[in-house]
Amino acid sequence: MNAAEPQGRRPHRLTVGRIGVYAFLATSALFFLLPLWIMVMTSLKPMEEIRLGNILALPAAMTFEAWTKAWSSACTGLECNGISVGFWNSVRILIPSVILSIIAGAVNGYALSFWRVKGANVMFGILLLGAFIPYQVFLYPLVRIFSLTGVYNSLLCIVVVHVIFGLPTMTLLFRNYYAGLPLELFKAARIDGGGFWSIFFRVILPMSTPIIVVAAILQVTGIWNDFIFGLTFAGRQNLPMTVQLNNIVNSTQGERAYNVDMAATMLAALVPLVVYFVSGRWFVRGIAAGAVKG
Amino acid sequence: MSMKTRVSAYTLSVALVCSTGAFAQQKAEVLHWWTSAGESASVKVFADQFTKAGGTWVDNAIAGGVNARTAGINRMVGGNPPTMMQFNTGKQFDELVSNDLVRDVDAQAKAGKWREIMPKPIVEAAVRNGKFYAVPVNIHGQNWMFYNTKIFADAGLQPPKTFPELIETGEKLKAKGVIPIALGGQPTWEHNLFRAVLVGNGGAEMFRQFYGVRKPDVLKDPKFRQTVELFGKMRGLVDPASPGRNWNDATALVITNKAAMHFNGDWAKGEFTAAGQTPGKEYGCTLVGDTPKEVIGGDVFVFPATKDKAALETQDKLIQVLLDPATQLAFNIKKGSIPVRLDVDVSSMDVCAQRSSAVLKDPANQVEAMELLSPPNYSGAIQDAVTQYWNTPSMTVDTFIEKVSNAMRDAT
Amino acid sequence: MDTISIRAPSVSPSGTKIRRSLRTRLPAAIALLPTALIVLVVYIGCMLWTVRLSFTSSTLLPKLDWFGVTQYTRLFANDRFVTSAENIFIFGALFISGCLIIGFLLAVFIDQNVRGEGLFRTIFLYPFSMSFVVTGVAWQWFLNPALGLQKLVRDMGFETFTFDWIVNQRMAIYTIVIAGLWHGSGLTMAIMLAGLRGVDKDLWKAAKIDGIPTWRVYTSVVLPLLRPMVVTAVVLLATGVVKLYDLVVAMTLGGPGIATEVPAKFVMDHLFERNNIGLGTAAATMMLITVVIVLAPWVYVRYVRPQGSHA
Repeated sequence: MNAAEPQGRRPHRLTVGRIGVYAFLATSALFFLLPLWIMVMTSLKPMEEIRLGNILALPAAMTFEAWTKAWSSACTGLECNGISVGFWNSVRILIPSVILSIIAGAVNGYALSFWRVKGANVMFGILLLGAFIPYQVFLYPLVRIFSLTGVYNSLLCIVVVHVIFGLPTMTLLFRNYYAGLPLELFKAARIDGGGFWSIFFRVILPMSTPIIVVAAILQVTGIWNDFIFGLTFAGRQNLPMTVQLNNIVNSTQGERAYNVDMAATMLAALVPLVVYFVSGRWFVRGIAAGAVKG
Repeated sequence: MSMKTRVSAYTLSVALVCSTGAFAQQKAEVLHWWTSAGESASVKVFADQFTKAGGTWVDNAIAGGVNARTAGINRMVGGNPPTMMQFNTGKQFDELVSNDLVRDVDAQAKAGKWREIMPKPIVEAAVRNGKFYAVPVNIHGQNWMFYNTKIFADAGLQPPKTFPELIETGEKLKAKGVIPIALGGQPTWEHNLFRAVLVGNGGAEMFRQFYGVRKPDVLKDPKFRQTVELFGKMRGLVDPASPGRNWNDATALVITNKAAMHFNGDWAKGEFTAAGQTPGKEYGCTLVGDTPKEVIGGDVFVFPATKDKAALETQDKLIQVLLDPATQLAFNIKKGSIPVRLDVDVSSMDVCAQRSSAVLKDPANQVEAMELLSPPNYSGAIQDAVTQYWNTPSMTVDTFIEKVSNAMRDAT
Repeated sequence: MDTISIRAPSVSPSGTKIRRSLRTRLPAAIALLPTALIVLVVYIGCMLWTVRLSFTSSTLLPKLDWFGVTQYTRLFANDRFVTSAENIFIFGALFISGCLIIGFLLAVFIDQNVRGEGLFRTIFLYPFSMSFVVTGVAWQWFLNPALGLQKLVRDMGFETFTFDWIVNQRMAIYTIVIAGLWHGSGLTMAIMLAGLRGVDKDLWKAAKIDGIPTWRVYTSVVLPLLRPMVVTAVVLLATGVVKLYDLVVAMTLGGPGIATEVPAKFVMDHLFERNNIGLGTAAATMMLITVVIVLAPWVYVRYVRPQGSHA
C-alpha cells in the first residue's frame, strides 16, 4: 500500500474536514469491531459469567484458559487436542491447492487473452456461470467421479477439488489482468520467434506478481476456511482444521462452551489474517493493476 | 462398490499420507457426531472397552448429524466406508438398507435377545424386512420438561401436570416477573415443543397418526384442534427475545433462575451438569401430560456392508462391546440417556434417568419419536408449518391445518 | 463468498495478424484442454445431472426414474420457497448497493492520506477471514433484544428504546443484511481503494486548479472512472448473494418462522437434512435458471461476442 500513493488532497493542518474524516473512520471501525469485541470478551470469561448474558461487559474474572483449551485440549470426539490437530493438514492442503490453482488460472488467463482458440470464450462463459452455483450441488456427482478414478479420499483428491472450484475466479482474475497488459510486449516477443510457453515464462509471468498475490490471498482465504470439501474429499487422515473447528463449535445436542468456541474461531482465522496484513500493499496494488488499467 | 476400488482408494490415501501403510488387526474406524465435552467423554467409554477387548478404535468425529451422515453416505457410495457409523434410528436409513449399503446384524440380535430386552419402538426402528440392520445404543427421551426448583418453591407453585394446567401456572409465574418457558427459538426446538404438547395433550395415538400413518382424519379431531390452540397459547409464556436463540442459551435461562420451565430432550442435562447442577436438587424433570408418555428415540450404529472377513470380525466385536451391560451403564451415565437394554440396573444413575427408565418399563408409555415414524422430508415440511404458526400469532388454526394437510399430501 | 474480478477485455485489432496461425495456436489449445475437460465433465456434467434429478422422485440417494414436473409443482406451491425467493431479492439489492456505498465511502476516506491506514484497512477487512458459524453467534447476541443493543440502551435509562428486528418476522431479513454488510464491505473497500489508487494524479491537479470541490471530483469524475471496479465488486458480491447460506444458519436458522429463509438454504436442507433430493435439485435448477437469465446477456456481450474483434 505504501508503494501506491494516495491520490486525495493533502491538507497540512488539522481542519474541521480532517476531524470529520477521522470521526467517520473511527465510527466505522467501531461498527466493524463490535462483533470482535463481543467475541474477545466472551473468550476471556468463564462459562458462569457468560450464562449471565452481559455480552458487552468486560470480564470480571479474566482467564485465558479458553484460548489454550481451544488450541490444544478441547475435545472434538475421542481426541481432546483442540484445533491444533488439523493445522498441518490444512497447511498441506492449502499450499499445493493455492499453487496449482494459480498456475491453472495464469495459463488459462494467458491463453484466453493472447491466443485465439476456437470455443475458448464459450468455455469461459460457462465457467463463469459455474461460479454462481452452490457447491453442495456438485458434491454427489463428484464423489461418484472420484471414486471411479480411485483417488477419492486422498490429499490429491482434495487438492484437485480446490483447483476445480478455483478455476472460475482464478481464470477471470488472470484473464482480466493480462488483457490490461500492453499488447506491444506480446507482439515483440512473437516477432522474436517466441512460442506459447516461452512467451508465457519469459514475458508474461515476470509481469504477473501483483495479480499472483491477489489470487493467492483470495485462494488462501477460501481454501483455509473450507469445511465441506475437506470433509467430503480429503479422507480421514487429511481432515483440515475447520473440521475440528466445526466439531468444537457445532455440536447439535452437546453442551456448549462459548468461550472456547469464540477463541477457536479467532485462532482459526489467524492464517488468512496474517496473509492480509503482510500482503496488504500488494493486494490493493494488484487489483488495481488487474482491473483498472485498460 | 467392489472390493478392488475400496482397497485401492484406501491404500492410495494411506500411502500418500502415512508411511506405514499396513493395516493393524481389528482396527475399527468409527464415524460419529459426538463432539461436545460430555459427548466426547461418553464415546470414550466405548473406545476404551473396545481397546480392552483387543481392538484399535480409530475415531472420526464430525459435528452435526447432517455433516456426519452426508460424509458417511458419500463414503459408502464412494466405496470407502468406515467400519461403523452412527446414524439416526428411523426412516432415514431405509434407503441404506434397500441399497444394500449396510450389513444385517440379525444373527447377533437373535443371540443377544435384542427383541426381548429393548423397547418395541426402538426394535422396530432398527429392523427392516424382519432383520436388524442397526445396533441401538441408547434411549433419549425427547419431551422432558426441566424446571427450576427454586422458582417454583419461591412462587409457592407446583410443577404443572397437564398442559392446560401449565398455561395457568405459566401465567402466574409471568405475573411474578419470571420467564415461564425458556425456548430456543429455532425451528427444531419449536417443533420439539409442539411434539411435547401433541403427545402430552393429544395422546400417543394422535401422535402416531400425525407423524406415522399421516391420516388427514386426525386433523379433523377436535382434540387436535384444541392441542394446536393450546400450543398457540404457549407463545405468551415465552419471552419475546426467544427467536433465533440456541437451545443452550435457553437452558442457561433456567440455570440462572431467569426462567422457570424448559422443554427439551434429556441431553439438556449435560448443560446443567456443566454448570454444576444436580437433577432433583437445583432442577427437576417431569413429563407433562394426562399420563406420562415418553417420546423416545436414540442413537444407533450401522455397519457398512463389506466382504472383508477381518472387517466383519471387527464389526462383530464392536457390537459385543456396544451392548455389554456394564458398558451400557457407563456410556449412558455420561451421555445423559438411559441404556437401550431395559434389563440393566439403573439404580446408580441420576433421578431423571431412573424416572425415565421406570416410565418406560410400561410399554404403553413408550412413544416412538418422530424420526422413527416419518421420513425427513415430511417432518421437515411439518417443521416449516409449525415454525410459521408459532411465530405468527395471527395465523389461524385452520391455516395451520391446511399447511399440514398439504405436507401430508406431498411427502413421499 | 467467492471472489471474482471482472473487467472489459481491451479491444486491439492489431493483434489479429499475430494470432492467426493455426500451428502456433495449437499449444494454447492444449493448455486450455484440461480446463475444457473440467468444464465439460464437472460443470456442464453436474448441471445436467442436477436438472435431470429434478425430474425424479429421488429422496436420500439419487435414482433416475421419471417423475414429471411434480417437484416443480410442489416447489411453487411451497411458501417457504416463495419466501426464500423474495428474500434473496431483498437481500441482494440491499447488500450489493450497501456494500458498494459503504465500501466506496470507506475507500474515499481512507484515501485522504490518513494515519494508520494499514490498521483501518485491516479492521475493515478482517470479517472476511472469519468463519460465520461463530461470528454469527456474536451478531445474534448483539441483535437479541434481551442481550444486546436494546438491553444496553435501556440499561442506560432509555426504557422505551426498542431494537428487536431479529425477533420480528417483518424486519429479521434486514438484520441479515446488516451482518452481511459487516462481512462484505471490507472487500469492496479494498477493491475501490485499488481503483482510487489507479486514478491519474494529473486529474487531481487539474481539478484543484479549476477550483472544483473535492466531493464533486469524486462523484462526477472519479466514480465513472471506477466503473470496471464497480463491475468487479458487483459480480463478486452477487456470487455471495446467490450462495448465501452460512450467515442465515448462524444467525436465525431461517427464522423467526420462515422469515429469513433463502434459496441456497432451501436446497441444502432438502438435499441433506430432509433427504428430498428431487425437490432440492428442482430448487437448485430454478436458481440456475434465474442466474442464467440475469447473467447470460451480460456474459455474452462482455466475453463471448468480443472474440471476433478482440483476438
